[in-house]
Amino acid sequence: MLELRHLSKVYPNGTAALQDFTLNVANGEAVAIIGGSGCGKSTLLRLIAGLEQPTKGDVLVDGERITQPHPAVGLVFQEPRLLPWLTVGDNVGFGLEGVPAAERQRRIHDALESVGLAEQAGKWPREMSGGMAQRVALARALVTGPSVLLLDEPFSALDALTRASLQDHLVRLWQDSRPTLLLVTHDIEEALVIANRVIVVRPRPGRIDAVFDVSLPHPRDRDAEDFESLKHELRGALDRSLRDQNRAAG
Amino acid sequence: MTVETVLPGVRDNTKPARATGPSPWRPVVLGLLLPVSLAVGWEIAVQAGWAEGRLLPPPSRIAQTLWSLSEGGELLVHIGATLWRVAVGFLIGAVAGIAAGAAAGYSRIFRELVDPTIQGLRAIPSLAWVPLFILWLGIFEESKVALIAVGVFFPVYLGVTASVLGVDRKIVEVGRIFRLKGFALVRRILVPAILPNVVLALRTGLGLGWMFVVAAEIMGAAEGLGYLLVDGQQLGKPDQIVAAILVFAVIGKITDALIVAASTPFLRWQDSYGAGN
Repeated sequence: MLELRHLSKVYPNGTAALQDFTLNVANGEAVAIIGGSGCGKSTLLRLIAGLEQPTKGDVLVDGERITQPHPAVGLVFQEPRLLPWLTVGDNVGFGLEGVPAAERQRRIHDALESVGLAEQAGKWPREMSGGMAQRVALARALVTGPSVLLLDEPFSALDALTRASLQDHLVRLWQDSRPTLLLVTHDIEEALVIANRVIVVRPRPGRIDAVFDVSLPHPRDRDAEDFESLKHELRGALDRSLRDQNRAAG
Repeated sequence: MTVETVLPGVRDNTKPARATGPSPWRPVVLGLLLPVSLAVGWEIAVQAGWAEGRLLPPPSRIAQTLWSLSEGGELLVHIGATLWRVAVGFLIGAVAGIAAGAAAGYSRIFRELVDPTIQGLRAIPSLAWVPLFILWLGIFEESKVALIAVGVFFPVYLGVTASVLGVDRKIVEVGRIFRLKGFALVRRILVPAILPNVVLALRTGLGLGWMFVVAAEIMGAAEGLGYLLVDGQQLGKPDQIVAAILVFAVIGKITDALIVAASTPFLRWQDSYGAGN
């Protein structure tokens, strides 16, 4: 269970990125956080990943307080961030220091296979396309078997076709190993394709505005009528939260 | 490319040579054309009696001088003396430059405390140290090595500092996510990230090392390639001067190639950046 208890984050320059953010995510659940820019989405993931400390509140994973990067929590950044001096295979195995060589090779192979790149282990990152590189980054996060997987707008830099195929791929991976998934996105469709629960966050400072339960079975058909109507409903909520925000600001 | 395949007629009219691609020897041949024809032309002019060739000896005389110098092992002694000075000076300058540069890049307080002083010292033309080094260290090897080390230190320090400061914060974060700290973070993220620029800084430093060994040896040495230069000037032997210059060029290039060769296995991942363009 991932617990966020009254999280607040104020940066030294006075920017309040998050305010009193409370959320519980059950093991194996897939939750999408959606909101406009400046709603503290990325800050939220950085707090959970232990890259930053909350000003107030706690992050707990299975009851354990997170104060620094933790092996149970994996993070996929917005960009692949592959290390250019390591081969694709060694990038995937980066977090497997101390694992015996044969075991390490097996796990690298399995992780690359799970993202459909088993044959690419010997390639260099610069030889990968954007979509392939992001799949390698996904494999790198999965190879250590984290119980919580955080994704920070992971497909936003990709073209629409690649993005859709990677979303479907992510859903299959999630169904296979069932990590707790927390996806930050600004893409309504992406949130609805992947998540069981979609949380609309209102910006400046980021706080929860609305929560949608998505009970459609996976894999979800983007063109189905109930999908479309959910999309419509979610878009309405998102627009409302942005409008309220603008009115409050004006 | 697409146009060319769709419209072969057009391609035939414009660039038929493209089809085979340029030979890999083309740059070598073209690059050698000018110096070789100048040398051959000078040789012919001197042999034919059109020019005297006393102040600028023709290639055959330089080759002769090189041969007679190397016959008695004399040339090897000079090369050995110069190489030794460069090697020791480069080693001291490079180690100090890497250490100080890494510290200045890594630690803000070290940078704030020490960098202004180093930048101030850098503003001094390095040759201005010579009188002081001679007073401190004497006229023999120590002062020469110190001058070379100073010459090597600054470019290495600057290059290493800049490359540590330039490491992408996003890449460092990848290391942090996998719980790397301290030495492990340095070894697995920082060192490989700065390595290409460090190699570049070392090559620049080595180039300056060769520059300063000439200065040091011209100012007084009983052996070394720089001694050959001075000796050639004082005894009016331009062929010996040119021969020494050629040896400098060749050995300088070889030592640079040694750094490149030593670093290549670690920079293999960069390979096709150059090859592709």
